[in-house]
Amino acid sequence: MLFASRSFCCLGIRTYQLRTDLLSRSIRLSASDTMAFRHKNTRRIEGLDSNVWVEFTKVAADPSIVNLGQGLPDICPPSYVKEELANAAAVDRLNQYTRGFGHPSLVKVLSQVYERVCGRKIDPFTDILVTVGGYGSLFSTIQALIEEGDEVIIIEPFYDCYEPMVKMAGAKPVFIPLRHKKGGNAASSADWVLDPAELASKFNSKTKAIILNTPHNPIGKVFTREELQVISDLCIKHDTLCISDEVYEWLVYKGNKHIKIATLPGMWERTITIGSAGKTYSVTGWKLGWSIGPQNLIKHLQVVHQNTLYTCPTPLQEALAQAFWIDYKRMDDPDCYFYSLPRELESKRDRMAQLLQEVGLKPVIPDGGYFMIVDVSTLNVDLSDVDENQPYDYKFVKWMITSKKLSAIPLSAFFGPETKRQFEKYIRFCFIKKDSTLDAAEVILKNWNKQ
Amino acid sequence: LPLVKAPSSPSLSLQAKMSRPVQARRLEGVDKNIWVEFVKLAATYSTVNLGQGFPDFPPPDFLTDAFARVLSGEEHMLHQYTRAFGHPPLVKILAQLFGKLLGRDLDPMTNVMVTVGAYQALFCCFQAFVDEGDEVIIIEPFFDCYEPMVKMAGGTPVFVPLRPKAPKDGKLMSSADWHLDPAELASKFSERTKAIVLNSPNNPLGKVFSRGELELIADLCVKHDALCISDEVYEWLVYDGKEHIRIASLQGMWDRTVIIGSAGKTFSATGWKVGWTVGPNRLLQHLRTMHQNSVYHCATAMQEAVAQGFQRELEHYGKPDSYFVQLSKELQQKRDQLVQSLVAVGMKPIIPEGTYFLVADISEFKSDVPDVPNSDEPYDSRFAKWMVKNKGLAAIPLSAFYCGAHKNNYNRFIRFCFAKEEATLKAADDILQKWKLEKTSP
Repeated sequence: MLFASRSFCCLGIRTYQLRTDLLSRSIRLSASDTMAFRHKNTRRIEGLDSNVWVEFTKVAADPSIVNLGQGLPDICPPSYVKEELANAAAVDRLNQYTRGFGHPSLVKVLSQVYERVCGRKIDPFTDILVTVGGYGSLFSTIQALIEEGDEVIIIEPFYDCYEPMVKMAGAKPVFIPLRHKKGGNAASSADWVLDPAELASKFNSKTKAIILNTPHNPIGKVFTREELQVISDLCIKHDTLCISDEVYEWLVYKGNKHIKIATLPGMWERTITIGSAGKTYSVTGWKLGWSIGPQNLIKHLQVVHQNTLYTCPTPLQEALAQAFWIDYKRMDDPDCYFYSLPRELESKRDRMAQLLQEVGLKPVIPDGGYFMIVDVSTLNVDLSDVDENQPYDYKFVKWMITSKKLSAIPLSAFFGPETKRQFEKYIRFCFIKKDSTLDAAEVILKNWNKQ
Repeated sequence: LPLVKAPSSPSLSLQAKMSRPVQARRLEGVDKNIWVEFVKLAATYSTVNLGQGFPDFPPPDFLTDAFARVLSGEEHMLHQYTRAFGHPPLVKILAQLFGKLLGRDLDPMTNVMVTVGAYQALFCCFQAFVDEGDEVIIIEPFFDCYEPMVKMAGGTPVFVPLRPKAPKDGKLMSSADWHLDPAELASKFSERTKAIVLNSPNNPLGKVFSRGELELIADLCVKHDALCISDEVYEWLVYDGKEHIRIASLQGMWDRTVIIGSAGKTFSATGWKVGWTVGPNRLLQHLRTMHQNSVYHCATAMQEAVAQGFQRELEHYGKPDSYFVQLSKELQQKRDQLVQSLVAVGMKPIIPEGTYFLVADISEFKSDVPDVPNSDEPYDSRFAKWMVKNKGLAAIPLSAFYCGAHKNNYNRFIRFCFAKEEATLKAADDILQKWKLEKTSP
């Protein structure tokens, strides 16, 4: 068969697969067997079907469960944000397509806000792409710049989508964990650090990019300038790109400052910085995000975008633009939502920490973000009789949901295959919740030991 | 002697990395996009824009009212994430409606998935089902994104053209006069054929595939065990009493078809970017995997509003005040109005059976835009650019909807969008009339 001989010049696994494909096609199989074979998924999504969210959001959807799991606010977005969407909804031309790479009024205000923050000129049309959430930005960036043969460094624990997205692009994820500083009080996110020598050992000629997430989900770590310098030195030395997921950029607590790695020397030209309306304005359901970077990188993200979904919804982009103008004008004012939200969240953070401490737990106090992780081993919940072949924290969270009516997310979801088991006693709580939700959590935690 | 530090030269492997392009290979050949260029031209020069496909009239009141209601309500969780594979009220009503249309029991959780417009639905399909080495049959002329999406997935597009038959004497050509040659179509299927993309009603021609034509395609799909990606975004826009037939309802097709739909086209709200896929769980499970690893969630508030819009339509289904009925009636009139304008000035429209596009032969106006021998650019593209710059009338060249090798096969046609207000169509007519006068007067 001509086709067969042509394809035998491919290497290794592909040849084997093609050979078995051809063989099995030439054997007379039943119609349904053939169909099942032909209609299976592509290689790029092989093994990427399971997802911690799909598992846990379903379980926690029951309204009687106090949901501190998935990262979504149950507090109200600011009223002017909702008003701007109502205003946009009333403008007829906003019901039709806008500019593919980003609604003009939105990219213009984003360039203003970020010019101010970064201290450099940002062209709204060439240096910015508007995407479907921070998630969409991650996807566009990875599809644009990462491919088979590349390695991508991922810092553990990591927002869980990084690994499957890197794999889908055909590349190899290379993990490096944040570890508690020896002798430090591991109860602060600042005490979870990268070992510089270990980090350096992960870089090689195949390293296309490193994914940085600061402020960090799930730990809440806010990388310091010195820590960012270590990363940037390696990026420059190895000519590596930096994908900087900064969706929680405004959510930093007293004594901490969010620093953009793109502002470090030599980094602008190799960094894509990702932001999110959902996290900035507590409107996760708007699913708008953006990628900012140099034109020679952003143009490739734009190519991905024009071949994936082309344009984002118009009314939401217009509303977001108007909300941003309001806050841009008061960026010197403490009432600006960029500063008032973290103030509000800091007290919720402190309350959450206190509740957990009262049950005898030692939460890791985050310097940023709206998550808190805690080691639950001291609760000594024996789940050895639970059959499932899942890490302890998965079983623990499921048990906690059914017996305590409180949900969280198991931390092992945020680790690569080799490190998962080391962190299976940790769970993650989300505290961007209204007072009544935290009150309900308090009741559960206070009554924990009573049965 | 002072020590002079020699400039450090990058290691060999670093040099190799620096000389490689930064972008991934999957972007090769998919960077050009006709819309980027033509949308900009229209924005700069046009006074009357019949180019890009979107209505310049508002969506129906019941839809915008639903959106306003959703936003003014107390339910602030509508600003937060909803179910990733589709907001429950929306998938439920879509399952109800499409179940009714297909004569099947559909499970909203497994047979329906919501996407960011039909565009993202197409993307998920190609990424979920097309691997390197797979062939995908695309019928020309085609909505331009199919080709780059197949390529980005590593697949090979295989083109088969609709071919025009001359209409009866004295009659205007219709989109129904463009056919697939059955033998030619059959010859395009091979062992490597993973899928065929069907777009009916077809953009840009407006062709509504007949039952016979669909059966031809279905037979080949079944015979070669190929999938069918059925882009049916214009499903409600069919004219002259024609029927839109869903290929998934044909024998052997439900199990191998993904149906794609669009709220933007259904409800004249292209800027909302709400689309969906309907199909068997066996196929949709892979779309879900793709979706959860690319965008994950779609915006909540618009899904809620679209669900309410569909609720209303389901209640009025088949009745004269159904939006689906009214819109297609209204658009048929606009179609006829534009056809008249074009005929009056000597452009030869091909009457579309569906969609809100029509394609017209501009040969009569050739003298305005002389041929440039050995030009890289297809004639109709140069014509359309000249027309928008000099006459302020924007349209899209038909060659945009053909693959590179075939761009010059039908290069005397341009595509007009007639989903436009009365005033816009009148203004277009004025431009055309004036243009004709200029040509005929000494």
